[in-house]
Amino acid sequence: MNIIVVEDDARLGAAIKRALEHLAYTVTWLRTGAEGLEALRSQSVDLVLLDLGLPEKDGIEVITEARRLKVKTPILVMTARDSVESRVRGLDAGADDYMTKPFHLDELAARIRSLARRAQGLADNQLDAGALSLNLSTLEVTYQERRVELTRREFALLRILMERHGKIVRRESIESSVYGMESDVSPNALEVLVHSLRRKLSPEAIQTVRGFGYMVPRDLT
Amino acid sequence: MSQRGIASRLRWSIGLLAVAVLIPMGWFAARRTLADVDALCDARLAQAALGMDAMIAQTGLAHIEVAHDSQSLPDVPVTGHLGETPTHEVEVGYQVLGADGRVLLVTENMRALGAPPEGDGAFGDVHIDRRHWRLYTHRDSARGITVTAGERYDSRRDVLRALWIEHALPLLLGIPLLAVAVRWSVRRALRPLDTLTSLLTIRTAWSRDTLLLAGAPEEIRPIVESLNTQFRRIGHALERERRFSADVAHELRTPLASTMINLDSAIAEKRGMRAAASLPDAYASLQSLARRTDQLLLLARLDDADDMPRGRVDLCAAARAVVDELRATARVDARHLDVSVPTLPVWLVAHGPALDALMRNLVENALRHAPAGGHVCLTVKQDAKATVIEVRDDGPGIPPERREAVFERFHREAASLGDGFGLGLSIVQRAARLHGASVDLLDPPDGPGLLVRVGLPH
Repeated sequence: MNIIVVEDDARLGAAIKRALEHLAYTVTWLRTGAEGLEALRSQSVDLVLLDLGLPEKDGIEVITEARRLKVKTPILVMTARDSVESRVRGLDAGADDYMTKPFHLDELAARIRSLARRAQGLADNQLDAGALSLNLSTLEVTYQERRVELTRREFALLRILMERHGKIVRRESIESSVYGMESDVSPNALEVLVHSLRRKLSPEAIQTVRGFGYMVPRDLT
Repeated sequence: MSQRGIASRLRWSIGLLAVAVLIPMGWFAARRTLADVDALCDARLAQAALGMDAMIAQTGLAHIEVAHDSQSLPDVPVTGHLGETPTHEVEVGYQVLGADGRVLLVTENMRALGAPPEGDGAFGDVHIDRRHWRLYTHRDSARGITVTAGERYDSRRDVLRALWIEHALPLLLGIPLLAVAVRWSVRRALRPLDTLTSLLTIRTAWSRDTLLLAGAPEEIRPIVESLNTQFRRIGHALERERRFSADVAHELRTPLASTMINLDSAIAEKRGMRAAASLPDAYASLQSLARRTDQLLLLARLDDADDMPRGRVDLCAAARAVVDELRATARVDARHLDVSVPTLPVWLVAHGPALDALMRNLVENALRHAPAGGHVCLTVKQDAKATVIEVRDDGPGIPPERREAVFERFHREAASLGDGFGLGLSIVQRAARLHGASVDLLDPPDGPGLLVRVGLPH
């Protein structure tokens, strides 16, 4: 899942990026509203964490402009402005959720999961595909009733495939979700990642659809 | 007296003035009329006597004398009442005396009159039958007769009384009517004041709306205008305070948030090594929080520092102290920090902590904007007009069109992505203003960067 964090405070931005990467999210940290808006317009982004007090282009302006451009990406506002009016203003401008600084990491993660569930139409944090299951909250993966330890990238790959299990997930979506805006990704990095994931699960857990992408079958045994 | 309302004061003064003017005027007018009536009555009396004489001259005196002797004096009846209406005729009469003093003709009511008043053409006042009479005597020396016409004062008094009443009555009725009219018009004239009062009463606290008083009279308009000016001013001050506290919240909550996130990460991470990695960042965030708190407190203190005590300050020593304090930070960040001050002390009567804060914030700002390996220099010098503090860095500088904006509280230049708190320059400006000093952002004479010059006038 590709998350963009727009925060001008260096320490907070870095802390959020590190903490979310640790939760197996792909995080791009931008510091100005203009950069945030540009990223929203030009790339496939799954979620935006947006500070409101930004230099040059204010957070509210970013939301308003993004929504005017019909960008539907969930936006989670994090701000020090805690008055009811500014919450209402933020939500009415098109934000999906609102968090007042300071906040706990657990709450931030829970809200991100909640927005992601809503965006994908999921009922809970548990994704099941036959014998394979993945918990979005505890980050636990079990296959044929045994725990599987995955790396951050492997988890990110499995998560996007499990979210749409039984359907083909296009290669480009997977790449943007797993690698985000990283530029130094080697051409066969995804194949390598798929290979190592198959080794930890089973070869048939992830099927290659040549020319399109990959899928996790609905009734995996 | 001073607490009485405008309305009652106006009512009383208009009422009293009206009474004070109308009553003497009425009195004088009545006096004039009465005097005229008096003169008119006298003239009529004289005219009656003269007319009588003329009639006797016409008929002939002998005629009267032949027909009657003194014993059988003809009775001239006095016209009595005509119906119910009393007339004044009972109250007039005449007497005609012959040359020998014999009474030739007399009205009943004047029978008791003895000798008429002396002289010709003279008026006189006498009592006849306990009545007070006004007499006019005409002596016709050609015929040797004396004609006296008389009028009872009663009749004249009736006329006078009627005249008095005619004059006084409108006045007596008019004064209460006038009072009512004055009351009404005063209340009407003061109605805009009532409207203003009720508008102010129903105003909600902290309301920033302008007062709208349609058709306000020119006496009220300046009040409404200056009230609106005050409301606007208070509104601006409130807005500034509201923005300030929102910004303060932002300034403090952001480092608090990053402290919390870092500590949460450290707690969540089970392995010691990875947990430890988050702690320095948490600590740095706390430091930044502490520094922002200090700055905000300093700024708040400087905001009402106008009456704080001033003392003698050696600017050179103060500058060296600031540079010594910040040299360690500069070294860590690989910046060169220099100080250039005159060898002799520069004594100023100034607010020491404010000057320290001014120099410290300028140097810290410069250190933040100087590139790694860059130079920052704090200079103190004196020229003819002022003592000058200069801080120069070789960073990217600030374009001239944005130099005004950087003084706003919480302004952050987009390029300053580190700890640009946006409070530093506000502190500098406030401290400078305390000393009547100017702050100018300039281009350095050589090379890139920013030169901040603070001029403290002698």
